[in-house]
Amino acid sequence: MPTLTIDNQTITVPEGTNVLEAARQLGIEVPHFCHHEALGSVGACRLCAVEFLEGPVKGIQMSCMVLAKDDMVIDTGSDGVLAYRAQVIEWLMTNHPHDCPVCDEGGECQLQDMTVAGGHGVRRYTGPKRTYQNQDLGPFIAHEMNRCIQCYRCVRTYQEYCGGKDFGVMGTRQRLYFGRFSDGPLESPFSGNLVDVCPTGVLTDKTYRYKSRIWDLQEAPSICPHCSLGCAVIPGARYQELQRRRARTNRRTNGHFICDRGRFGYGYVNHPDRPRAPLLGHRRVTWQEALAALQNHLHEFCELYGSGSISMLSSSRASLETQFLTKRWANALGSGQLCFEAHPRRDQAARVAASQAPDCSASMEDIRSCDMAVLVGADPLAEAPMLALALRQAARRGARIVVVDPRPVELPIDCERHAAAPEELPRILQGLTRPQQNAFASASEEFGGALGRALLEAKNPVLIGGSDLLGPQGCQMLLKAAEACSPTGSTCRSMLLLAGPNSFGGAMLSDDGPGFDALLEGMEQGRIKSLVCIEADPVADYPDRKRCRAALARLDLLVVFDCAATATVQEADLFFPTTALEEAAGTLVNNEGRMQAFEKVFSAGTPLLQSAAGDHPPRFFSRDIPGSHPQPAWTTLARLLGRDAELEKVRRELEKIDPRFDGLAGLTADSEGCRVVAPRQAPALVAAPASGVTASDQLHLLVTEHLYGSELLSDLSPCLQAVKSDPYVWLHPQDVARLKLVEGKPVRLCTSLGEWTLELRINGDISPGVAVVPRLRGTVVETLVPGSEPMLCRIEKA
Amino acid sequence: MATLLSEKQIAQLKRRVKETPHPREMVLDVLHAIQDANGWVSDEGVELAAIVLGLSSLQVEEIATFYDKIYRRPVGRKVIHVCDSICCWSRGSEAIMLRLQQLLAIAPGETTADGMFTLLPTCCLGACGEAPALRIGRTLYGGVEPEQLEAILDKERAEVES
Amino acid sequence: MRSCEPLLFKNRRAEGPVFLEGYRKNGGYQGLEKALRGMSPADVREEVKASGLRGRGGAGFPTGVKWSFFPSDDAGEKYLVCNGDEMEPGTFKDRQLLLADPHHLLEGIIISCYALGIGTAYIFLRDAYRECAGNLERAIDEAAQAGLLGDDILGSGFSCEIHVHRSAGRYICGEETALLNSLEGLRPNPRSKPPFPAIKGLFGRPTALNNIETLANIPHIVTGGAAWYKSLALTEQGAGTKLYGLAGHLETPCCVEAPIGMPLGELIRDFGGGVWKNRSFKACLPGGASTPYLTAEHLDVALDYEPLEQVGTRLGTGGVVVFDDRTCMVAATLNLLRFFARESCGWCTPCRDGLPLVCWLLERLERGEGTREDLTMLQEQLSHINGRSFCALALGAMGPVDGLLRHFAEEVEDHIRMGRCPLQD
Repeated sequence: MPTLTIDNQTITVPEGTNVLEAARQLGIEVPHFCHHEALGSVGACRLCAVEFLEGPVKGIQMSCMVLAKDDMVIDTGSDGVLAYRAQVIEWLMTNHPHDCPVCDEGGECQLQDMTVAGGHGVRRYTGPKRTYQNQDLGPFIAHEMNRCIQCYRCVRTYQEYCGGKDFGVMGTRQRLYFGRFSDGPLESPFSGNLVDVCPTGVLTDKTYRYKSRIWDLQEAPSICPHCSLGCAVIPGARYQELQRRRARTNRRTNGHFICDRGRFGYGYVNHPDRPRAPLLGHRRVTWQEALAALQNHLHEFCELYGSGSISMLSSSRASLETQFLTKRWANALGSGQLCFEAHPRRDQAARVAASQAPDCSASMEDIRSCDMAVLVGADPLAEAPMLALALRQAARRGARIVVVDPRPVELPIDCERHAAAPEELPRILQGLTRPQQNAFASASEEFGGALGRALLEAKNPVLIGGSDLLGPQGCQMLLKAAEACSPTGSTCRSMLLLAGPNSFGGAMLSDDGPGFDALLEGMEQGRIKSLVCIEADPVADYPDRKRCRAALARLDLLVVFDCAATATVQEADLFFPTTALEEAAGTLVNNEGRMQAFEKVFSAGTPLLQSAAGDHPPRFFSRDIPGSHPQPAWTTLARLLGRDAELEKVRRELEKIDPRFDGLAGLTADSEGCRVVAPRQAPALVAAPASGVTASDQLHLLVTEHLYGSELLSDLSPCLQAVKSDPYVWLHPQDVARLKLVEGKPVRLCTSLGEWTLELRINGDISPGVAVVPRLRGTVVETLVPGSEPMLCRIEKA
Repeated sequence: MATLLSEKQIAQLKRRVKETPHPREMVLDVLHAIQDANGWVSDEGVELAAIVLGLSSLQVEEIATFYDKIYRRPVGRKVIHVCDSICCWSRGSEAIMLRLQQLLAIAPGETTADGMFTLLPTCCLGACGEAPALRIGRTLYGGVEPEQLEAILDKERAEVES
Repeated sequence: MRSCEPLLFKNRRAEGPVFLEGYRKNGGYQGLEKALRGMSPADVREEVKASGLRGRGGAGFPTGVKWSFFPSDDAGEKYLVCNGDEMEPGTFKDRQLLLADPHHLLEGIIISCYALGIGTAYIFLRDAYRECAGNLERAIDEAAQAGLLGDDILGSGFSCEIHVHRSAGRYICGEETALLNSLEGLRPNPRSKPPFPAIKGLFGRPTALNNIETLANIPHIVTGGAAWYKSLALTEQGAGTKLYGLAGHLETPCCVEAPIGMPLGELIRDFGGGVWKNRSFKACLPGGASTPYLTAEHLDVALDYEPLEQVGTRLGTGGVVVFDDRTCMVAATLNLLRFFARESCGWCTPCRDGLPLVCWLLERLERGEGTREDLTMLQEQLSHINGRSFCALALGAMGPVDGLLRHFAEEVEDHIRMGRCPLQD
């Protein structure tokens, strides 16, 4: 642990820390371009010079390239250093255009900051400047190569950190070109990070172009709602429009980066079809009218049928505060008919996940630093994209990554793949729970046992499971396996991928409550007369849409609180508009049980662009901002409960009632969050019926999440439509040959839930006997929902 | 694309790529093979190299565009490299370059209308003892006087035409 | 006229290259035999260290010391890479050697591989040296046929293979870590050191990197012994002979082998035939394009590492480039800087963007448009680029600028004062 002196302050840092980082720990920011905490030091920009006055190194050196050593005395701002840094800026500015007033980076441009800081006000170089042709990099990233200062951050991010292969650096000397081989959309699902790492305006967010100056943006620390990982983000809004999202740093979760679904999925907030006013039937009503109608109806049901006739459904999209007050409200009404997930298997799986001891669950940080990871039935890019990036970082450090899956799981790394049939997964997990055993009943179990032994021998192993494919039973086995594979003195941590950003919170609050199929049964039997959906969309999320619709149709009253025009909203008798995540504060609990607070970014309202239809803002005066009716669901619930709508109070109350949430009240949005203190009890699971392919023309149907098009909110983002796939089914070449089908040609998919015509794609990485269909909302297959009980299907020529 | 190299050559290169523990080290060999067969490396050439090497086109382009002796634009039947480094400069390379421009009626970087010659300046050819030097195709000419250039060009042209 | 018995050029004939037969006739592969039969690898390393041989590629680092950092006795894959990317203007010695006598290099490589416990060597050859590559390939075949290369060389149990790698241009590939990247099929940007190639080099394995001429000296050190080799130099601290390139404004430009420590003026007079056209000597680059100029007052300086460092320049590659009294040193410097700016790999700012700015300033001065502010700016460039770039390319590039401002300040001033180049009519 070397101790050194920087600008008269002394600090002791871990061995291997460079001087730039050591200075940063003292709060001294040494100017730099190419260094990035996640990318490391490469010594390219040569801006971070400091003067070494005493110690093993002398003179002006680059602080990012020199490791901190004992007895170093460093001046980060000597005259020589300042003159040199000004020179670096002059060099960089010789070719940089003077287009700052119209540059999209203006206000958050590191080059601008450094130019001003270095005092480079007059250009002494009067020669010609180098210019470039830009490329069309697709719907997300705008390209302005003339502004490039060649810090190489983009290529290091894209290729090294994210594993992309279609963006890089070409040419030499002063004629470098950072781009693609030819025009075309960037292929990496993490391409948006180029926007954050580029220190100038070369690579900017195309979806945000020409919208705002960053100092006009309303920004606040927030959490990405598009999967269960809970990545830290900073959304930015202006004129009631959410205009962009960028990555925020949380070393425990996403690190410095986010995925493109998270970055560009924000458009749901501004969606023109978003319902913004309370509705009674199809009639717009005031909040007072709507609330009165709700209270009257519920009162009536209680009187007539008893409180058991009222049921409630929240979801993994709802904040912890909303979920909690939903539960309080149900209690207050005396109804036990409450659940937090419309998909019963996902519900159970989340309850299993929440029964994991908190100190055994893996954070993304744990995954980035693991030396072995085994993924069973988990498809990171589809189910939790940033997990793929975390695994890549582990692999870059030499970790062994093993993927066991019937699907062709794609990762931005080379890894070991084992195409296991769905029915093999439980056996492999069984083997994993007995790594010490010598004899196994089947080859699958033996394979699992071998993996288990490897995990036992690893230093920091992790076991990762996808709850959709494993189901609750599989999830439970995976947790057991992690326990069994823990090396002595260490823990094999585990991570389960869940359905939504707050699946974990809902599972914690669920206790032994009923699942949604129990509620549906009640509706079908006429016991349940009303359902209140709070940010839940059972029509789309319950695996059997026909059954769900039929049951809902029998209700006397369907109440929906939501911020999006979901399938369930269309059926509602009474509708309450809620705020989007960015329009209110709250808390989400991610899939590792980490409670993370988010702040309100801006107030709900119709984007000016829509209310003014691209014209001058409306010239009439009113008290209200158009479209500002949405309220946070929890505040409405608080009103219904007759209490103050104060977030602090709600959090304190939850913490007090349920000590597992200890720390919640003290959470701030810019912190790393904290894990729930204790697990919930493990749910009692009913053994799933065994399934097997019965007829030779039958296949296992696996409906799976897809990077784009599966998740509700991001699918409402207009810019993601460009990258959404058309519906298709994936088959193994063997099955294609056996069934005499032709690649690229439409085929007919026949299941007990219906029949669809899809494009056929062939993939050799898939397990034979399996048909994989991605969930794609708004397409012919939108009623197919992942995470269902195993289903059989037939595929024939269309 | 296949016409850039014969099936046999492609198979040979692919076999070598498969045999080496570090396939990437073959990138210049593959680009050289394509350039030797076609005079230059077209976009299709980069794509072919990528397929042979199991890399993306961009990954090959990153390498191809680094080296000045991999031609990523069409060149004439023969490329004239005129050394413009210090020894040749000190002994009259500027005059050589000017005379060649006159004789060929092209500027440096251009190709003659008949597609015969491309004129390029180059850094030191390692022929400082024979300055001023130039290289046409694979032939090095040392101690060149501007007056000799016409004859040199004729000879080179005749060689191609025969 | 002082000369020496040639070592490296002993087989150089006007008729063309010498191959195995001729090489062996003249004592070739005796060093290899001696090393394999009578010396342990450590003995060879010790002999090389004691010989005082310094790297001939430009940096002049003592070869034996460099080798002492190499984990010779460690098991596992290790490489020797011979740097044949001779591309520094004024340097043409390695080409001369390969054109004359390719086995000379092979013997040096094989002995070095033996000394360092290496089984695989690469010769990284610049694209322009196709003829040399042909010679080497033929020589490798011959050596393999004769049992001098391949498995169980001369029955010693030692095995070694040599591959020739053809590059495709770019001066930066001569920087040893850029060369490794190039060889691996990566972009040839230099790597950061540490780790040094001796620890983590080609494909992440320990790698010894030496210049062609350096390696060609090894057989002679082994045969003649360190003391004899060291005594060949004319200076006290020097060792061996050197292949000097003599180019520029000389009557008889050539490449000669002469002892280390040969006085500059003597070399120019005796081998270069003196300054051409009966003009007088104005300046020279003593060791390739990246070495600061020497002037007429330095003609007595011994061409050896230390004496040249004492007068503010370097032996470099030994490529002496002479300028006569009609040469504009601003123009000469501009030519040199254009080369370096063009050959920058583009990795770091001082080199990529600093050198073009230096060119721009020199252009202004040479055109007579330069001002006193431009001169100040040029001086700033010198102090800000030197020692601040990622690798030594930019440092080398500023050598001539350093020399220009030190020795020809008046000439630069004249450009500004007269508003034109004073040496142009």
